[in-house]
Amino acid sequence: MTTKLFAGIAAGTVILLQSGCSTVNTLEPAQPVAQRQMLNDKRVITDTGLYGRVRILGVNIATGPAGFLKIQVEIQNLTSSPKSFTYRIEWFDEYGMIINLPTMTAIPRSLEGKETASITAMAPTDRAKDFRIKFLDQISN
Amino acid sequence: MKKSILQSTIATAAGVLLLTGCATPTTYVDPSGSRMVANVNQINIQDFANAADTMVNSLIDNLINQGKLQSGVPSEPALLAISRITNNTSRQFDTNLLVKKIRVALLRTGRVQTTTTMNLGGPEDPLAADQQKAKEFFEDKKHTRLPDYTLSGKIIQDRTPAGDINQSAFVFQLSLSSNAGIAVWEEEKTIVKQGSAAAIGF
Repeated sequence: MTTKLFAGIAAGTVILLQSGCSTVNTLEPAQPVAQRQMLNDKRVITDTGLYGRVRILGVNIATGPAGFLKIQVEIQNLTSSPKSFTYRIEWFDEYGMIINLPTMTAIPRSLEGKETASITAMAPTDRAKDFRIKFLDQISN
Repeated sequence: MKKSILQSTIATAAGVLLLTGCATPTTYVDPSGSRMVANVNQINIQDFANAADTMVNSLIDNLINQGKLQSGVPSEPALLAISRITNNTSRQFDTNLLVKKIRVALLRTGRVQTTTTMNLGGPEDPLAADQQKAKEFFEDKKHTRLPDYTLSGKIIQDRTPAGDINQSAFVFQLSLSSNAGIAVWEEEKTIVKQGSAAAIGF
């Protein structure tokens, strides 16, 4: 009876561990064709806990024919369990003044364990020359 | 008798004070921040902003930034008219919560303007429509500028209950049609929420 109970507990623990640690396997070309224009970024880290879990790998930028800036931020979940966070992008004109819009909002995002993903955003106007991205850990109840 | 009244008055006052002290104070919250109240079965204000942001990003990326947006009057921004935006969810809301954000963002691009005199079911601004008619009459203009594009769409809800957890998926579908009746841009954004009760945050 005791053996059966222990076996049950062990099996349950294994299932719980497995479901909590599902990570992502990826495949991509060994030599990518696309030429990325990576940006030298400046990071201000105040939440080391979040930075230890979700890491910004790099930012690349491109400008379209109409002069609107496009950014792509590559992020990775360093842990083996799913992680949720929010991010918000702010845009600035050539004088460093913020461009406010009603569409600006904190956007929720989640990543599976060890998953790498890209966040893309378009500048709201061709006057937008700079940007700032804020990452915030998920707020619990 | 007097003592009893005094005691009950003090007790009531103390009770009121205690209740006031325990109540959650009303606070102002940044509408673009992460501390908004969210619930499963309805589209919250941050969801509209999120969906509008996706739509505007897609419009700029696929149409405006590619130089594909065409205006009927060269050197002037393209003219947009708002067509039918259908709410197919279980809750009633004003679709302007989505559309106005998109209109503001498109206007700020400097490449799109929205007409307020030509709308489905009558002008949005009746006085502007009257002024336009009067101007056309006095200036002997025979043709009003027609919109280059119309924006239409639908918001759909899909609910999936699973035990204690409820899941709601809100699908925002928008199409931009040229005045030749061709959808030149289409986008879909799905926002999925899971939970059992109202909670702070996303």
